[in-house]
Amino acid sequence: MTVTPFPARAEAAPQFDLEKVLSSIDTMAAQRPVAAQIVSVANSDDTSAKVLSRILASDVALASRVMKLANSAYFGMRGRVTSLQFAVTVVGFTTVRTMATVALTELDDESRLPENFWDVTTSLALACSSLAPRFGERPQDALCIGLLAQMGTALLHHNDAEGYAELMAEHHDFTTRRTAELRRYGINSLRLTAVALEQWGFPHSMTSRLNQVDDFTSMEGALLRGAFEVAARLTTEDYDTVPIVRLTCGQLREDDLVPVLDAVRADADELRRAMLGD
Amino acid sequence: MSVIISEPDDDRVPPAVVASVFYSASVSDSLALVVAEMVAGRAGVTWANTGAVELLGYGVDDMRALPVDHLFPSLGGGELKLLLRRERSARMTLPVRTASGAMVQSVVTTTPSPGGRMWTIRIVSTTNEQERALRATADAHERRFSTLTERSPVPTLLSEQGMRLAHVNDAFCSLVGRRAEQLLGTGWIDTVHDEDLEAVIEQVSAALDGEEAEIQARLVREDGGIRTTVIRFAHVFTPGVGAGFVGTIEDITDRLAFEAKLAHQANHDPLTGLPNRTLLAQYVADRFTPGTGGLACLFLDLDNFKVVNDSLGHTAGDELLTEVAARLGSVVRPGDLVARFGGDEFVVVCENVDQAAAVALAERISVELARPVRLGGVDVRPYASVGVTVQTEEHSFAEELIRDCDIAMYQAKAGGKGRITVLDQRAREQARDKLRLVAELRDAIERRDITLLYQPIFSTADGRPVAVESLARWTHPERGPLSPAVFVPLAEESGLIAGLGLLVLDETCRQLAEWDRLMGAAAPPRANVNVSALQLDGNLPSQVAAALERHGLHPSRISIEITESALMKDPDAARELLHQLRDQGVELAIDDFGTGYSSLAYLRHLPVNCLKVDRSFVAELAHGHTEIASAVIALARNLNLSTVAEGVETAEQAAELARLGATYLQGFSLSQPMTGPRTAVWFASQGESTP
Repeated sequence: MTVTPFPARAEAAPQFDLEKVLSSIDTMAAQRPVAAQIVSVANSDDTSAKVLSRILASDVALASRVMKLANSAYFGMRGRVTSLQFAVTVVGFTTVRTMATVALTELDDESRLPENFWDVTTSLALACSSLAPRFGERPQDALCIGLLAQMGTALLHHNDAEGYAELMAEHHDFTTRRTAELRRYGINSLRLTAVALEQWGFPHSMTSRLNQVDDFTSMEGALLRGAFEVAARLTTEDYDTVPIVRLTCGQLREDDLVPVLDAVRADADELRRAMLGD
Repeated sequence: MSVIISEPDDDRVPPAVVASVFYSASVSDSLALVVAEMVAGRAGVTWANTGAVELLGYGVDDMRALPVDHLFPSLGGGELKLLLRRERSARMTLPVRTASGAMVQSVVTTTPSPGGRMWTIRIVSTTNEQERALRATADAHERRFSTLTERSPVPTLLSEQGMRLAHVNDAFCSLVGRRAEQLLGTGWIDTVHDEDLEAVIEQVSAALDGEEAEIQARLVREDGGIRTTVIRFAHVFTPGVGAGFVGTIEDITDRLAFEAKLAHQANHDPLTGLPNRTLLAQYVADRFTPGTGGLACLFLDLDNFKVVNDSLGHTAGDELLTEVAARLGSVVRPGDLVARFGGDEFVVVCENVDQAAAVALAERISVELARPVRLGGVDVRPYASVGVTVQTEEHSFAEELIRDCDIAMYQAKAGGKGRITVLDQRAREQARDKLRLVAELRDAIERRDITLLYQPIFSTADGRPVAVESLARWTHPERGPLSPAVFVPLAEESGLIAGLGLLVLDETCRQLAEWDRLMGAAAPPRANVNVSALQLDGNLPSQVAAALERHGLHPSRISIEITESALMKDPDAARELLHQLRDQGVELAIDDFGTGYSSLAYLRHLPVNCLKVDRSFVAELAHGHTEIASAVIALARNLNLSTVAEGVETAEQAAELARLGATYLQGFSLSQPMTGPRTAVWFASQGESTP
């Protein structure tokens, strides 16, 4: 009788250096100095729309995305926004910073992203924004968390494209996927996002939400959990829904999700175009 | 926060300084510093300063043996590597485990030493951290704001970003009849009326840009109702977040409705609901362009409305007016204006019509109005006289149109009731001419340019002059002498007759007084003064008395002549008036006697002294017709009244009248009317020639 032994765990584990991943972000920042500068000044208390728009003006691609977003249905301004400074005012400093972060981490280059990345991200962001008032959060900040939440996923994919694709194929559900990430890389993608954002000085109030997602008893993580559920229902084929009441510490019922799903579906394309600039 | 790592430059920093810095760091209790080192693949604490010992509660010795991961329990798996990085500093906010097992939420900053095996770890509890404080302040502000506005009766919006809302209060929700969840974000945009949305966004833009903005906009309720509001936007800036706005809404729907009602009341007739004269004038003025045509005005006046009012009562009168208004509204073309001009007068204004169409409309109106209306059990046919004017190049001002159709209506009325008259060019000129003449007559009366001539009246008994009749004359500066037959009716129509009558009365009395002064006993004994029907009111006796008193004359020096037709207009009132005058001692004569329809029985009760035989009966004498003159004279004699035969133009007539028994004669053949001075001379000469 021959026994085929399980492959030893040490052999299967990829050569994955978390520190290298984090260092790669610094390298990216060096390639997009304007975006990096915006990331560093956007949340300072003495920042003004004037200062931000002046910096932003030197990155034409990024500036045009901010303009596009300011005029999108999400902000309701109907094409009224014609100056960059006013666009910064309309979308808010945190959003500008978020967009700069997207550019900085090359989340705008779809060829380097996991499959379906932006479909999930836009759904996540819009769901966060729609649900935020139910959790006493600012919809604007929630939108930004949603936009950036998957940055860790992108970083993992970037450093291990093949392995990450396998992992995604195997785990359609976000929660189990995060468990798999932790097993494979020693850290899950949300945590990685939080670390990176903290590194760049995003407020703790934003990043702490990311750390609480997998603690089902945490109200702080409930908004993002709910938003992930919305995103999954909209983007995953044959998705087995999880009762929203359970995910949100009883804060939401299934009925509450109906208008949210509609709103997300309606605005997702436009947000995606604004974020990617196409 | 990142720390720039550089090689310590021993050449430049003296060891004494390094020692000093180290000392201050080691004893600082406000700064928690820990040094960790990688030993055998595991990071452990090798040193801690006073601040760290105090913050974490471990003994100094316990500290030195502590694995770093024990301090940071939230960093599971390989995550410690995220904190202790070899090439750069790292910063994380995470819970730190103290000796008691309690967690202290802290910002932890690590700086690797150049070798990459040792780290300086700085721990700052976030309890007093600025960010938390700031956020708490911001949260408190927001809570305060929502508490402030939540129960406020003023509908209030608080923006989040752009047009997006973060808060709406209950007052706003009930104003638009929607729940807060429907309104947050961009949901409230649906409540702004489509036509006002652009402008609202523009004002929001201004507010986001730092301005105060205000706009009147309609909000659409969930139930479809529309509220008109004034929205005021104020700029709000949150450091580190950006610009937003606070919007307060004032619902002005009811106020506007009230104002509109007041405006409507100011411009509409409350009885019929039709536009009134003010609105009519404005309406015509708005549509009037000089030198063009196409605008037509129809002026309607109900015939015999007074009869309805007097006989069936004012309620019936009001009912009739309301019915007429309704009929007018139903018969005019869409877009035509029907206005109540006043009383029983209505005006219809049409655009883009010629004269034929305007007349056709007038005919339709007449037919429609002539259908019977049942009022108080009686069928009344509200006939109307209609004046029509179509705008011509002659019309320079809008009000001329209305004035012209008014004139046309009067012409229609004068021509008999229930008629339609179009004011043509000639009629218009005549009317304008008349208007001018009225103005000039008014001036002439005011300036006493009306002069009096005096025609002597002779006694048939002895052929001596016994009186004069005052005759008003107006010599127009351009037109020359105008006949009283022209200007007296004009004065009557235009309300100038009272002034003219007073002038004649006063001037006659003055002249009598002057004659008395100049001539003594030779002065004319009496003057006859004509009084118009329109002067026959309660004021006449006192006016006569005042004039006599003013000039110091005895009442018997005056004889008031009143036409028969004037007396018959309101016989009872006239009789009362005549009695008053007669009681004053004034003589009374009935002028133009025989031309009216007085009842002889009635005549008997009038306190008159004299009948004046109309000149037409005198003229008949020349053709051998003596019947009427003779009958009048006989009648007067039987009633014990004297007679004056007017218009005696020949000696034969005078002889015939004397033969018939007339008391007095007056006429051209006997003496023409003369000025006051000339009359004095004439009377003086009569006195001399008579023995």
